[in-house]
Amino acid sequence: MPSTDTPLVRLRDVHLAFGATPVLKGIDLTVGKGQAVSIIGPSGSGKSTILRCLTGLLKPQRGELTVAGTAVHQLHGEAAHRPLRQRVGFVFQQYNLFPHLSVLDNLTVAPRKVLGLPAREAREQALALLAKVRMQHKAAAFPGELSGGQQQRVAIARALAMRPELILFDEVTSALDPEMVGEVLNVIGELTEEGMTCVLVTHEMRFAEGISDQVYFTEHGVIVEHGSAEQLFNHPGEARTQAFLQHALGQPGRRRIPDTYVLRNLSPYHLSV
Amino acid sequence: MNEALHALVQAVAGWGLDYRFLFDAYSRASLVDGALTTLALCLCAALGSLAVGLGLACALVSPRPVLAMPARAFVDVTRNTPTLVQLYCAFLVLNMLLTQAVGTGNPFTPFAWVVIVISLHKGAFHAEALRAGLQAVPATTLEAAGSLAFSAPQRFIYVQLPLALRFALPALVNNLIDLVKMTAIASAIAVNDVTYASIMIWTQSDNVIEMMVLLLAFYGALGLLVNAIGRWLEARLRMPGYGQ
Repeated sequence: MPSTDTPLVRLRDVHLAFGATPVLKGIDLTVGKGQAVSIIGPSGSGKSTILRCLTGLLKPQRGELTVAGTAVHQLHGEAAHRPLRQRVGFVFQQYNLFPHLSVLDNLTVAPRKVLGLPAREAREQALALLAKVRMQHKAAAFPGELSGGQQQRVAIARALAMRPELILFDEVTSALDPEMVGEVLNVIGELTEEGMTCVLVTHEMRFAEGISDQVYFTEHGVIVEHGSAEQLFNHPGEARTQAFLQHALGQPGRRRIPDTYVLRNLSPYHLSV
Repeated sequence: MNEALHALVQAVAGWGLDYRFLFDAYSRASLVDGALTTLALCLCAALGSLAVGLGLACALVSPRPVLAMPARAFVDVTRNTPTLVQLYCAFLVLNMLLTQAVGTGNPFTPFAWVVIVISLHKGAFHAEALRAGLQAVPATTLEAAGSLAFSAPQRFIYVQLPLALRFALPALVNNLIDLVKMTAIASAIAVNDVTYASIMIWTQSDNVIEMMVLLLAFYGALGLLVNAIGRWLEARLRMPGYGQ
């Protein structure tokens, strides 16, 4: 049962500005081990910025970030972030696979070069992970030969290949054609079922509602409201949350997001591959 | 071999071209020697220029001004002065100073000076092609490498450089074809390359047209060879489905 007893991620009063433009204005956020936490909110509200701060891709000017026992705000320089990034996976909106490497090599290059896995072990792990995301038949293909949904599933497998304690998903279905969204969300849903700690920035409200232990609603760089999925989606306390949800979900009974996005076939896999 | 040569010389004699000097062992040997020297020059300068180009390109894209600014200055000066003048400057000035300093211990032969000057000159052009390639690698791809905990050198070696080489390859091949032709400046400081050997032969045999045909065919074939290698590399390194 997910709990907040051992928070894997804790942000306290995080402030970040791009030049004179404040983007994060005092973010507090906690993610327990094994939890799935979604961050929702309008474009430009700072959702993706929060994720980038978590692995030090962006540096907040103020505040404390603790991720997997590491005080991220105290890390200085690229090299200091490497141990943290080994333990935190990141899946990007634009997949960002390495286009010059085959699918298999995309999954083995970092485990071999960074973790020092022997070639055979890295390969076996990669094939198992590809099977998990139902991409084993494309192991020899190149990213440019795959659909967006396929690339994103490979990108998730690539993040898993580093055996992370936590995976960050940054609007991973926003660049996909609608018919491919489901296949990617299913994979993420399976991961959360297995107990992988996940932080998702997403516009898929039904999906967020379905898988999240906690949902944070951000707007203009502040957390307007957070709570359990049930509470936030069905009984939002703030007027701004209500307005956003009404806009994002449409009127009850007239949902803009088809039900096919909701998880199906949740089957437990084992993470030990 | 000899019979084939005889037949060939006979055949072109009908067009008024006199290639009988090829039966002269001395002329033939100096021509072959010149051709081999040109091949050696091409190979050494190609490798040297690529090494220089890679180093300069890394310095050019470096966020540290202490690396980027000297590299930029070198590229600009080198690109904007004639190679022949650079060779004279290196051989007549630098080489002389070096000889004055160390006497007969000066290790640099005229051949070495040609390789150095062409490597530096073409290296500056390679550097710009590679810089374009390095900068064409999307920041998001590098960010992905960073998120996988690659160190900066690993990210460069396994992600940025392989992609940059692919982007820069057509320009690099272009530069290398130019490099092949550029080796002819070796004749200016009496390195016995194929051009110098040809000049030696035509001043004695008064057969400029015959030599010129041979010379152009030789450089043309070398250029085509470099082009073929470039095409082969492009096909080999092609990223399926990318940019199409």
